[in-house]
Amino acid sequence: MTGTRVMDSYLLANADSVVARARAGDETALEELYRAFEAPVYNLARRICRTTEDAEDVLQETFFEVCRSIGRYREEGSLWGWVRTIAASKALMRLRRNKYRETDELQDDVMGHRREDTALRMDLEAALERLSETARAVVWLHDVEGYTHDEIANMMGKTPSFSKSQLARAHRRLRRWLGEEVEV
Amino acid sequence: MTHLSMEALLSLREAGLEPGDAAAREHLDGCPGCRAELERLHQRVARLKALPTLRPARDRWPQVAARVRQERRARRQRAGGLIGLAAAASIALGVALGGTRGGSPAGEQEIRLAMARSQALESALNQFHPEDRVLDGRTAGIAQELEDRIARVDRELELTELLDRRPRDEQLLKLWRERVGLLDALVDVHVTHASNVGL
Repeated sequence: MTGTRVMDSYLLANADSVVARARAGDETALEELYRAFEAPVYNLARRICRTTEDAEDVLQETFFEVCRSIGRYREEGSLWGWVRTIAASKALMRLRRNKYRETDELQDDVMGHRREDTALRMDLEAALERLSETARAVVWLHDVEGYTHDEIANMMGKTPSFSKSQLARAHRRLRRWLGEEVEV
Repeated sequence: MTHLSMEALLSLREAGLEPGDAAAREHLDGCPGCRAELERLHQRVARLKALPTLRPARDRWPQVAARVRQERRARRQRAGGLIGLAAAASIALGVALGGTRGGSPAGEQEIRLAMARSQALESALNQFHPEDRVLDGRTAGIAQELEDRIARVDRELELTELLDRRPRDEQLLKLWRERVGLLDALVDVHVTHASNVGL
């Protein structure tokens, strides 16, 4: 059993037979898929999207797509990898629709270090939340989900250099907001 | 002394070596500050990975299931519509052939036989209520492909009505025979599946 299969087994017992039943249109099997992957899909969506409502919509859209396309899942990679890519694409699509946070980052660039940044010593959750949506998406997809810059660029319709620079900028901000900046 | 940029530190975490990584590694060996910075970066990423899994406050499965059912219903209606269309076309063509003057009687007879065979197969198929059956993925794929091909033949049959009499009769015969062959295969798929699952 490969590593990716282990992940599927961890999330869904008898993944192969559940997929076979889901392909045949068995609604119970489709619900089993939903229950197995609901939390990781929502978590990914919520880490990328700004609001819980957006994340729930991404969860719903992801599983509608999973139910509709399960016949096309080729079993070449892990089931979770396939579901996760659908979820990431849906979340990024939602970001493109709601571009309302990017201005905060621009403002931050213009103002340089905000006075309160050094005093805040945010916790990681708050600091992550404060990043722009694009930067947060890149951080989450690269550092947590393990996507490469090429894969992220492909999903975002940008270049790998864009993904790299977003990640570097995000880490500089996180370092500052978390109070980890050290004078050397 | 120039320290490593965040870009350079991040690049060192990637699997493949990028241009400049060798020099960055050399710098790292001699710079405790950059080593500490890289370690903080590793720790930050580890903390990101350790953040708790967030869970949805509401169950969204009912909405997903309702949409899936709605789409299935729409698909069945489309499939039913195609079969209905084919039946309507059969009747229309029957009327057209009934009014044919000067066509080859042997050709007309063959077309009528093919149409009758097609209608008989459709009746046989409807007795299996294929739209209510759960098929395995491979069978569903084959049935879908056959239904698509039948729909294409039905569209061609409609267009053939517009042709002049002689090429029309030849084309009609060819298409009706093709339709019979496809329906035959579709009935086979459903009958074989039903017998395999003991229905």
